[in-house]
Amino acid sequence: MDQEFMAKVKMEVVDKSTAPARSVIAMQLKDVAVSFHGRTAVRDCTFDIAKNRVTSLIGPSGSGKTTLLRALNRLHDLTPGAKVAGQILLDGVDIYRGDLTVTELRTRVGMVFQRPNPFPTMSIYDNAISGLRFNGVKKKSILDEAAESSLRSAALWDSVESRLKVAASNLSGGEQQRLCIARALAMDPEVILMDEPTSALDPIATLRIEELMTSLKQRVTVVIVTHNMQQAARISDDCAFLLMGEDRAGELIEFDTTEKIFNNPIDPRTLDYTLGRFG
Amino acid sequence: MADRGADDGVDFTDLLPPDLQRQAEVVAEFNSVTTSRTWYHYLLIVASLVFAAVSVGFVGTILWNSLPEWAHHSRTLLGGRGWQAPIGPFGGLAMIVGTLETSLIALALAVVIGIGTSISIVFLIPRRFRNIVATLVELLAAVPSIVYGLWGFLVLAPWMLTTVNPWLNSWPFAKAIFGNPGQEFGTSLLLASIVLAVMILPTFVAISREVIAVVPQDLIEASLSLGATRWQVIREVVLPTARVGLFGATFLALARATGETVAVALVAGGVANVQFHLLYPGTSIAAWIATQFGESSSTEISALMALGVILMIINFGLSLISRGLVNRQRKILAVV
Repeated sequence: MDQEFMAKVKMEVVDKSTAPARSVIAMQLKDVAVSFHGRTAVRDCTFDIAKNRVTSLIGPSGSGKTTLLRALNRLHDLTPGAKVAGQILLDGVDIYRGDLTVTELRTRVGMVFQRPNPFPTMSIYDNAISGLRFNGVKKKSILDEAAESSLRSAALWDSVESRLKVAASNLSGGEQQRLCIARALAMDPEVILMDEPTSALDPIATLRIEELMTSLKQRVTVVIVTHNMQQAARISDDCAFLLMGEDRAGELIEFDTTEKIFNNPIDPRTLDYTLGRFG
Repeated sequence: MADRGADDGVDFTDLLPPDLQRQAEVVAEFNSVTTSRTWYHYLLIVASLVFAAVSVGFVGTILWNSLPEWAHHSRTLLGGRGWQAPIGPFGGLAMIVGTLETSLIALALAVVIGIGTSISIVFLIPRRFRNIVATLVELLAAVPSIVYGLWGFLVLAPWMLTTVNPWLNSWPFAKAIFGNPGQEFGTSLLLASIVLAVMILPTFVAISREVIAVVPQDLIEASLSLGATRWQVIREVVLPTARVGLFGATFLALARATGETVAVALVAGGVANVQFHLLYPGTSIAAWIATQFGESSSTEISALMALGVILMIINFGLSLISRGLVNRQRKILAVV
């Protein structure tokens, strides 16, 4: 039985030999823990996010994947009582205590959310360049160019070129999510964080977003939270497996290349999870 | 159950598997109980009919009683100056202009202060003080309008006279806008506007706070993730997203301001002049009706009723607009 499963899963891990080796590190996590009002939500996270690769965070509900992801661009700053311990380094600089303002960090580490959330009052064009506008770019030629190149990178340009001034809410769910990716890409970030970006989309739209992520690797580093094992196996190069511990706090069980996590994990719990025995 | 089946034409219950059949029976039984016409059912129908009849009768009598005025002097009512009791002519322009002036200035003050208050309550004030501030603002709504009137008359009017008038008139051009009544009047259209602004503030804040608070959190996070500052998030994402609902709140507050009576009657001065210098006294439709009808002849009553019709139409229109806008805001946020 296990052999059958293994064979099936093995087939699903796409050949990643084209991905660059884990030589350059984009972000480093050192013993990261996040707590809310003194209650730990996730802890013991130490791993490196390699540049120009897709890193997936997997694990059952409550294992702290999203909490960990949101620590990477300091979105917990908004939450009263939230505390991030340990070190998160971007290019060697501590993002919480180093010489990096939170707005600058967020322009370098973009984010795509679970639900497609283009700004409802803005047009497609305005959505695409909203980040540049926030950061004071006013020159029309620069904005036009950024809009086109980011929409092209998000594989959306051809379908929206003729209706850039139309409200973003007219797009389909999949298109809206690609617009959100374009919006993040327009900032030319080093890392894009994606929090279950396809969970609200239909299979076709999901597939297109997955293809997009793979093609984006040349430009950016992608960190993705996903509930979908097949998706993690298909698109990610590296994989972190998190699990809720006995005190209901999530912890990192194992981090390795996706191939090893799915085919030859060290911890038996990892194998149980990827084989679908729980979660 | 038989009834329901007959209603729908066909009864599909027999085609269902046994467990669902039982479920369908329970549902049908529930429906037949809740839709059967008990005495209570008729009581409700009668109650709603009485209510509808009262509304129709109410509007009808007001229209009927004002009819002589509308028939003979409609132009004077809408555009005439001067109110010659007891036989007329009765010009309504001063009251209409006064209503618009006081309401609009009050609205401008209340919207500026109110949006600031709502944003502070939702985003800026630390969580534990939030409810305190919100409750304080809502408390303003619980103060009876006569108390506002007294406060305006006894506290603000002397203060206007001794401090605000001289201060405003120390500015060049201010005299052209506000006029300089000297030490003559403490009560004025400006004072009425200020008192009205305080009175409509809670109405505006109650709604604007809500439409601001329901702007989805992930839109705020998305803009922060693009490097927006907190101020940019508020100005470029939160306020535009809540815009339609804020307009709705504005119109609702305006409807409250135009209809406000007692407080305006006390602090506006009660003079039926078309007055654009805001430091001079004036009046509004509602205040004028309240202060005049006690000693009116029947022709004057008819004219006051006609003013009431004008006010009713203004308010009804404003309520319709505000309700439409708040509903549209709900739809906008629903599709996000």
